[in-house]
Amino acid sequence: MAITRRVAVVAALATASILALSACAQSSGTATGAAESSTATAASAPLPAPFDGSPVKVALVRQSGAGDFFTSWGAGAAAQAKAANIDLQVTDARNDNAKQASDLEQAIAAKPAAIIIDHGQTDTIQPLVTKAVAAGIPVVIYDLALTDTTGVITTSQSDASMAQGVLDQLVKDVGDGAKVGYVSATGFAPLDRRAAVWNQYVKDHNLNVVFSTGKVTESTATDNIPLVDAALKQNPDVQAIFAPYDEITKGTVQAVIQNNLQSKVKVYGIDISNADLEVITAPDSPWVATSATDPAAVGAAVVRTLALSLAGQLGKTDVQFPAKTITQQFLADNNVTNVAELRVAEPSLKLDDVVVADWLPAVSE
Amino acid sequence: MTSPSAAPARLSTGERAAAFVVKWGFVAVTVALILFFLITEPSFRTVDNIFGMLKFIAPTAIAGLGVMLAMTVGGIDLSVGASAGFAVSIAAWTMVIANQVGGVAVTVVLVCGLLIGALNAFLIVVARIPDLLATLTTMFVIVGLKLIIVDGKSISSQMTLNDGSTAPGKFTADFLWLDRGSIGPVPVPVIIFLVITVLLWFLLERTRWGRALFAVGTNSEAARLSGIRVQWYRTAAYMGCGLLASVAGLLLAARIGQGDVSAGNSLLLDAVAVALVGVSVLGIGRPNAWGTALGAVLIAVMVTGFTMLGLPYYAQDFGKGVVLLIALLFSFTFSRRRTVVTAGSTTSAS
Repeated sequence: MAITRRVAVVAALATASILALSACAQSSGTATGAAESSTATAASAPLPAPFDGSPVKVALVRQSGAGDFFTSWGAGAAAQAKAANIDLQVTDARNDNAKQASDLEQAIAAKPAAIIIDHGQTDTIQPLVTKAVAAGIPVVIYDLALTDTTGVITTSQSDASMAQGVLDQLVKDVGDGAKVGYVSATGFAPLDRRAAVWNQYVKDHNLNVVFSTGKVTESTATDNIPLVDAALKQNPDVQAIFAPYDEITKGTVQAVIQNNLQSKVKVYGIDISNADLEVITAPDSPWVATSATDPAAVGAAVVRTLALSLAGQLGKTDVQFPAKTITQQFLADNNVTNVAELRVAEPSLKLDDVVVADWLPAVSE
Repeated sequence: MTSPSAAPARLSTGERAAAFVVKWGFVAVTVALILFFLITEPSFRTVDNIFGMLKFIAPTAIAGLGVMLAMTVGGIDLSVGASAGFAVSIAAWTMVIANQVGGVAVTVVLVCGLLIGALNAFLIVVARIPDLLATLTTMFVIVGLKLIIVDGKSISSQMTLNDGSTAPGKFTADFLWLDRGSIGPVPVPVIIFLVITVLLWFLLERTRWGRALFAVGTNSEAARLSGIRVQWYRTAAYMGCGLLASVAGLLLAARIGQGDVSAGNSLLLDAVAVALVGVSVLGIGRPNAWGTALGAVLIAVMVTGFTMLGLPYYAQDFGKGVVLLIALLFSFTFSRRRTVVTAGSTTSAS
């Protein structure tokens, strides 16, 4: 009987470890890559206080570090921290919000020089941010919606600059008064911010909006195809479509091709990924312009924001990282087919003129 | 009724030394780790940090105590993580959608926990499905049921409902107090954790019910012949486990402040691990409350210390795995006493 018991225990442990493995496969696709090689452009001035002594302890509390975007964001942040003599203590909650709350709570208890919070749920993080501010710890947040940002430095990708760059291109291509379509959804903070810019451009450039549609679902790209398809059948003379979210853009592109209108209708999107670049650079693709940021550069810029703030040189409480407009023509001219090549072809994605100082240049990977 | 762990009559010096290592080895490792971090990491020393660690581990420890309870009757419960996750969503649903106060949410959640425990007990005791398989099935069923109830969505205040209106309720302050409140300097979850540990210790070690539970776990046939109502004790152990899992879920819900659908997913392995570590921690060789609590503290110390040293999360997982491995070696390989962890054996023994 002792043997059957041991067999049973082994079985229990085997089951448990299988569960563990499958859980890991779900949540943490790319765990490596934290130690990407990077070279800092040489600083032209010595580090000011408090960075001139022993390393400054800063906690980076992340909701998730998995996936291409978040992995390179973290690598950029780590490289910039090293260059600025910051000892960055990173916790990754692996999308477990209770863990992120505990991580943040323990970060506050450890009384670091500052805390950076990367994403998170408002209801979970807000009370702890309030606590950190009350404890006198500087807090920098990235892409996190708080209800009370008193004493907090907020950073985000600039949705306004993303939309403006692409819409400038649209107006340049089709001119004032053109017949245009709009595919987006409401109720999502970034999309709402992009919509505000769109409405302004419609007014300023007298654009004739012939249809507005779109939605965000579990499979956004696929679910927008029938919507745009119907709109195009009604308005085949539309000249340009603004679809400010890459999943929606992909669905829109598909609908345009389905209706064989790719030579007449131009599509303007937002966001960039290797998959997006493939769609844009495909022969006769109607997607002519999009807006891009480099996650590694953004991660580094968040750390620079914090460093400038601790050195007393920031002088503002909200920092937005501008995006770069990328055209189909530019990609073709430079023979760019993936994000790595894009970084080389468009060095300004490095954000090396944003929140920098002579002692704090942007790191480049 | 004799104690199931009567010590052997005579031991050689070597054996006594081995017994000493088995008994105090884990305590020594924990103390050594704490000392190491106290010396190397100044921020580890603060009272805030000590309570922060205990608070962080409280839900895991409480779920682990639940698993420990199932182990006393020779079983195991793989549904604790799912039960806790169910509790998070049900608490959120009760307050945010049904617009009830915190006390109602707590009551509903605890009743659900008892029902899940009763379901496990029914499958194991009445339907005679092996405990491992029964609780694995329950895990899937209640995760699915949870997603059906909440429409697959995380429930938060101000959320838009399917009919376009805004959710009427929110997480009430008294509910959030379960995680965010404190009595004096001691956070509420730590108090709940300690109270449950003491209650379980008293129940298991100082009452005849506790002895009966162990008797059922050690040899259910002998227990039955000596007049113990075996099936009732097994049912009670699983219901207790379900109840504790839902308490863990309440703490998680108060910590997150919304009905996060993914909450509780990571709880199962840690809970089973601390219960298994607990068996060996004090060299007791059977499931016990203080050992489980100490196992949880050891894991908390390790995770916190590793984070302070800047090690990535996967190093922490490795560390936890090594601790569990050592615990199992102590329990099964080095210990002279017959270890009474009999997960999965309840059906094969009959």
